[in-house]
Amino acid sequence: MKPPRKFFDIILFAITLVIGIIFFFPIYFNLMSAFKSNPEIMRDAIAFPKGIYLESFKYLLTETDYPAAMLNSAILTVVSIILMIIIIPMSAYAIGRTDNRWTNGIFIYFLFGMMIPFQVYMVPLFKELNMIGLFGTLAGPIVVYIAGSVGFGVLLYTSFLKGVPKEIEEAAAIDGCSKFRTFWNIVFPLLAPCTATMVVLQGLGIWNDFLMPMLVLPSGQAKTMIVEIFYYVGEFSSRWDMIFAGTTMSLVPVLIAFVALQKYFIKGVSDGAIKG
Amino acid sequence: MMATQTIKKKWWTNYAIWFILPSLVFYTAFVIAPTLSSVYLSLTSWDGISPDIRFIGLDNFREIMNSKRVHNAFYNTMIFATVLVLLENVVALGLAMLVDQVRWFRNLFRSIFYFPVLMSGIVMGFIWVIILNYNFGVINQLLDMMGLSSKKVDWLGDPDTALISIILATVWKSSGFFMIIYLAGLQGIPKEMVEAAEIDGASRWQQFRHITFPLLAGAFTVCVMLSMISSLKIFDQIAVMTDGGPGFETETLTYIIYKVAFGELRQGFGTALGIVLFLITLVISFIQIKLLRRREVEM
Repeated sequence: MKPPRKFFDIILFAITLVIGIIFFFPIYFNLMSAFKSNPEIMRDAIAFPKGIYLESFKYLLTETDYPAAMLNSAILTVVSIILMIIIIPMSAYAIGRTDNRWTNGIFIYFLFGMMIPFQVYMVPLFKELNMIGLFGTLAGPIVVYIAGSVGFGVLLYTSFLKGVPKEIEEAAAIDGCSKFRTFWNIVFPLLAPCTATMVVLQGLGIWNDFLMPMLVLPSGQAKTMIVEIFYYVGEFSSRWDMIFAGTTMSLVPVLIAFVALQKYFIKGVSDGAIKG
Repeated sequence: MMATQTIKKKWWTNYAIWFILPSLVFYTAFVIAPTLSSVYLSLTSWDGISPDIRFIGLDNFREIMNSKRVHNAFYNTMIFATVLVLLENVVALGLAMLVDQVRWFRNLFRSIFYFPVLMSGIVMGFIWVIILNYNFGVINQLLDMMGLSSKKVDWLGDPDTALISIILATVWKSSGFFMIIYLAGLQGIPKEMVEAAEIDGASRWQQFRHITFPLLAGAFTVCVMLSMISSLKIFDQIAVMTDGGPGFETETLTYIIYKVAFGELRQGFGTALGIVLFLITLVISFIQIKLLRRREVEM
């Protein structure tokens, strides 16, 4: 005899709720603690803040390198994404719409890069960046992000392209439209959902990246938000309020992007994974 | 002669090469070139600063074979690649089934489970450092409240619990990502199939075992591969949670490479470790593709 549907629904909801609370707790804890003073966090970590304590935000924004680091994070993310979106869809289009051994070979060559962990080539990479004068500049991480996203990006775009009809391009070719214009005026707009996925996934990865900006950007100056937070964990080891204010500021832009672009965060992951 | 000339002409006038060229240049210059030169650097004792690079043959690899510290890092990497992958996939599948079946607030729950994915490993690691803190951490405070003060553990300071703490924090962070993939798989299962099984008297477990799970094989393959690759790369949470400690207990291959190359300025040795990591990644990916593809067909 099976239990009735209603009973099952309530039990299931209760289980989901408990697990949901466990999953949400660390985030709740972070956001609450950002508005508490240090003794308040130490006394009772779980409690709701008594008042809104903004001193840690004020301190971070006026007395430290944090604003400069925020700007660096934003520059790295935005510039890398724009350049990726200019070069990667073009190459994926050329690979996806031609069928000869050169382009197929290049496709395999690009995919191969997805299997190489960053730590494998980071030492020679930094040596190379130093040689061409990009070490210690914002351009350093940017070129590496672009290079590192080619494999994934080309895979994502070529699989999306399979579902884009060729007829319009053929008509454009008959009308004498150049390949370059055909791509940018006709094909690229059709790739918009794929581009949104690319922007969201790569943007999140760059915004949250730690190792490369820490090692490549010049020491003694602001690096990126995430790197500053890492340093604060060492520097302000007993000032948790300060660090929580920092982590909250790094999360807010991501949260806003998530709420606005939720569709692409979620659909992008599943589409990308299933097609890939 | 004629034929080669026409091919040459085509090569220059073909748009494809110009479209591909920018990606090809970036990728070759900043991924492939350094990967290839890492083979040479791994045979040197370079410190990363001095201009002269001394060639020492296979000495770095001999040291890797004999170093207890490297063996421990290798062992930890394998733990991550098995325990973490297993836990992430079980939790993700469970979450996906809950979100798929739950009657109320489905989208809210989905967002809550996905939210940790948006965090950087550094931020997530820091939050867990505080939650697991010996004196003020929430977990030990809960143990105090329940009168279990004697059971209090220095989660990240004790070699027995440090690694598992990192693993659990990582499961919390990444399961939401794989949940999304499983959820897409679950929602692709035709409702009629499940209903037919229910009419035939199949229990919930039988429905799961014989309908849901086989139809999720594609999602399963993708998730196992992705979680394996990401577990081999784990870095940020170790940096902030334990810094590889206590001692060298929680170092992984990615972490030891960083420590050796930039902490101890032995970049030649670090690069040699990088080559080992690359070979391991290749072997694991290869085995996985073989095994999982075969399984998928059988199911």
